Amino acid sequence: MSEEYKWGMVVDVDRCTGCQACVVACQVENNAPLSSEESFQRRRPMQWIRIERYWEGEYPHIKARFLPLLCQQCGNAPCEPVCPVYATYHNREGLNVQIYPRCIGTRFCANNCPYNARFFNWVEHQWPPVMANYLNPHVTVRPRGIMEKCTFCIHRLHRAQRQAKGEGRVLRDGEVQPACVQTCPTNALVFGNLKDPNSRVSSMVQDERHYRLLEELGTEPSVVYLKKVVPGGRAS
Amino acid sequence: MRWLLPALGVVIVFVLLGGAIFGLSGRLGAAPEQPVAFPHDVHVKGVGLDCTFCHRTATTGDAAGIPSVEQCMFCHRVVGQGNPEIEKVRQAGQNQSPIDWIKVHRLPDSVHFTHAPHIRAGVACATCHGQVEGMKQARQVRDLRMGDCVSCHRQNNATTDCAACHY
Repeated sequence: MSEEYKWGMVVDVDRCTGCQACVVACQVENNAPLSSEESFQRRRPMQWIRIERYWEGEYPHIKARFLPLLCQQCGNAPCEPVCPVYATYHNREGLNVQIYPRCIGTRFCANNCPYNARFFNWVEHQWPPVMANYLNPHVTVRPRGIMEKCTFCIHRLHRAQRQAKGEGRVLRDGEVQPACVQTCPTNALVFGNLKDPNSRVSSMVQDERHYRLLEELGTEPSVVYLKKVVPGGRAS
Repeated sequence: MRWLLPALGVVIVFVLLGGAIFGLSGRLGAAPEQPVAFPHDVHVKGVGLDCTFCHRTATTGDAAGIPSVEQCMFCHRVVGQGNPEIEKVRQAGQNQSPIDWIKVHRLPDSVHFTHAPHIRAGVACATCHGQVEGMKQARQVRDLRMGDCVSCHRQNNATTDCAACHY
C-alpha cells in the first residue's frame, strides 16, 4: 500500500464508561474465541481490547476508573526484534502486524510486550454450533500454537483503501474505523490517519490532556490517551 | 548384469524425484468432478459469454462469485431441454436448491485474495486461470502458491508487504 497513512487511535479516558461494547465488537469482528470463566482463571482469555478497571479513593468516596487497553501499535515495538522468524514487523502504514502462517509460537513477543496485548492460542478453539456462520470471512481463524493481537481491523483498512484507490483518491477522515471505534457509544475511541494534519486524531493528540501508556519505555505507541480530569480533584 | 543395480538406482531416484515434485506442486492440475458437468468451452467459445456474465462480482468484489441456479435458469429455462446435465440444473431450479459446485482454485485460509484490485490493475482472467474458454472441465493451470504470487507482484511493482494478503 502507500505511505500516505500512519494509523493511530486516541482514547479519551474521560468519556469511557467501561461498558465493554468495544470488547464484544472486537471479539465478533475478529473471530476471537469466546473467553470462558475458566480461561480467565487460567489467565488465558483472548481479548484484543480489554477494559482495565481501577479503584480510586477510599470508601465511601470511591470511584471506578476505566482504561481501554489494546495493542499500542508501537513505533518502536519491543515484540518485533525478539521474533526469530520475522512473523511480526512494522509495515509502511505504522501497523505492527502479525503474520499468522509465519509464526512458530515461541511466545517471545508476548513476553516482551509491556502492555500484555498479545495472546497465544493455547488450544484449537471451538465455537458453539449455532455460531458456525457467525465467523467473519475476512479474518483468518487462527489455529492452535500461534500468537495473535489487535490488528486495528486491518481487513477493514485494506477494503476501504482498495475502494478509495479504485476511485483514485486517498481515504477521507472517518471513512474507516475498527470495530471497537465504530461501536463505542460515547465516542471515547477515535481512529484515523496521523499523517493527515486535518484528521480528527491529529488534532486530538495535541490536546493538553494527552499521554501515552508507559511512555518512559520508549515504545512510541500509536495509541494516545487523553486524561480524565476531575474538576477540583486530581486527574487520573 | 553389472549395470542392473545402478540402472535400478537411477530409476528409483527418478521416481522419488518425480513424486517429490508432484507432491510439492500443490493443486496444480486439479480438476474436480463437478455435480453438473459444466463445460466452460461451450459457454465462452460457443455462446460467447464474457467471464463476468456469470462471475459477476469479479470486477467489484473479493470473490469472483459463482452464479446462482436462478442465473443459470435465465437461459436454461428454454435452452438445452432434454440434455441430462441441463436437466439436473432445471431440477435444482425447480426445487430451489443450490448446486454444490466444488471449488477448483483453493487457497489456504490464511491468505486473502481479492479479485477486484487485480482486475483493476489490468491482470487478465487468463493470467491466473488459463485458457478457460478451451476447457471442458475447469482445471487449475497455475501453481498459485506464495512464490507464484510474489514473483508476479515483484514483476509488476505491486506490494510485497506480508500483511497485504496475510491477516
